[in-house]
Amino acid sequence: MTAAPKHSLFSSRRVLALAHNTLLELIRLKVFYFILLFALLIIGSSIFTIQFSFQNPLQVLKDVGLGAMSIFSWLLGLLCTAGLLPKDQEDRTLYTILAKPVSRFEYLLGKLSGVFLLITLAVLLMSVVFAGVLGIREQQEIAAAMQSSSPQTLALDLEAIRSAAFQANLIPGILLILLKALLCSTLTLLLSTVATSSVFTILTSVVIYLIGHVQGIAREAWLGGSETAAALKVLSAGVSLVFPDLQLFNVVDEIAVGTALPMALFWQVSGLGLFYILVYFLLAQVIFASREL
Amino acid sequence: MKILLGLVSPTAGSSFIFNVNSKQVESRESVGFLPENPYFYKYLTGLETLLFFGKLCGLQGKPLQEKARHMLQTVGLSDAADRRLGGYSKGMLQRIGLAQALIGDPHLLVLDEPTAGVDPAGSHEIRDLILQFKSQGITVLLCSHMLNQVQEICDRIGVMNHGKLVAEGRLDDLISAPNQTELVLENASPSLIEAFGRLATDSGARLLDQRKPHADLERFFLKITQPKPEAPSTPGRTS
Repeated sequence: MTAAPKHSLFSSRRVLALAHNTLLELIRLKVFYFILLFALLIIGSSIFTIQFSFQNPLQVLKDVGLGAMSIFSWLLGLLCTAGLLPKDQEDRTLYTILAKPVSRFEYLLGKLSGVFLLITLAVLLMSVVFAGVLGIREQQEIAAAMQSSSPQTLALDLEAIRSAAFQANLIPGILLILLKALLCSTLTLLLSTVATSSVFTILTSVVIYLIGHVQGIAREAWLGGSETAAALKVLSAGVSLVFPDLQLFNVVDEIAVGTALPMALFWQVSGLGLFYILVYFLLAQVIFASREL
Repeated sequence: MKILLGLVSPTAGSSFIFNVNSKQVESRESVGFLPENPYFYKYLTGLETLLFFGKLCGLQGKPLQEKARHMLQTVGLSDAADRRLGGYSKGMLQRIGLAQALIGDPHLLVLDEPTAGVDPAGSHEIRDLILQFKSQGITVLLCSHMLNQVQEICDRIGVMNHGKLVAEGRLDDLISAPNQTELVLENASPSLIEAFGRLATDSGARLLDQRKPHADLERFFLKITQPKPEAPSTPGRTS
């Protein structure tokens, strides 16, 4: 018999093995292809829908594309994360894994890392398709301008088209879309450590997603008014602390119209997102570590 | 069993595996576990499953590959190494479960109903494998409701009733009748049996029972279902 190496409290190899396995599991599940295909279809179909819009076609395309990426990356993370723990427990694979020298921390981290890898891959793939579609559309617009624009306005028209096409200022926006999906995925993992069913986890996560998008408005309304009751202010402050303001990650609209995202804001939102991811993961670990399996 | 594997906490007391508290992850270094009715990841092949569990045990590279192939051979699944577990039969799943339990070279093998739902032929194979591991010096902790199988495999038993250990000890000590002896004779004539009875009475013993021994139903099933080896063809004959 070959002797196994001495046990270490934390092993990146074990975490990587779990992450790789989770990624493989999710890639081989048809739901991934379905969602991705749907996202690609939405982006592709936007080429045709812009024919009916009075706005700049490239701006509409960017708007639709980034919006679709935001929704589908979130949905992908939500559906994949919600089933991770319940399925493993139902199939008793969880017992088999934890009966090996694997700590619950490593297990949870490995599983979440697998989902993170999947979401990142999906966003990357959608970005490539999005940039490709935008590039093709840009060429079509340039060709049309060459034919229809007068020599006096051609230079200006071409400049307007190029500035509305895929540019470097889109990348921070896409990164924030990714970060938002990762954050929501970690939140779903936290919920699944206390929930008894995947359906409950999904529904609760959707509700929190909605709260996260409107809580900024509610907070401003409640805290802004002098007549707001103290209890309501405390409640609002509590909600603001527990749930992240997901509206902060929605910079798509500004970027779509060509406004560059200030880097200070980008780093602030990124830092906030990473902070919530860390807090949610540590909370999930504390709950999972004390859970009777 | 779950307490021993650190999956639940004991309400009182503590458990140790080879002197390491089972609450510590380190205690699982020397344990292999096969849960009841395992499913594993059905999208993985047999080989991928063993590679995955091997990595969790700290194995890697060529030794891991060799170990996984060896384990597949040991449990008789070499031909199914590249098939996904979704297409495995119940018996094959149990055998891949045994292989994953053993991939880290454990000193203790914990088996929860290892033959539940498996057909007699598969059950027989699994029992033989467990006996093979036992002969290799691996301590086997078997939990089962199939008492015939427990009797065939185990040296020591513990009887649980409503969550409490009501009997524990060596199997022979618990179920054998020390003042009785069983003889099985072949081709014994009625006069010989009669002589045995007289001899027993003369020596102060008592012949309690006399019956035809029955074949074990499982053995009978295996005898009539397993394919017979083909007889060698006779040369020089044509039809």
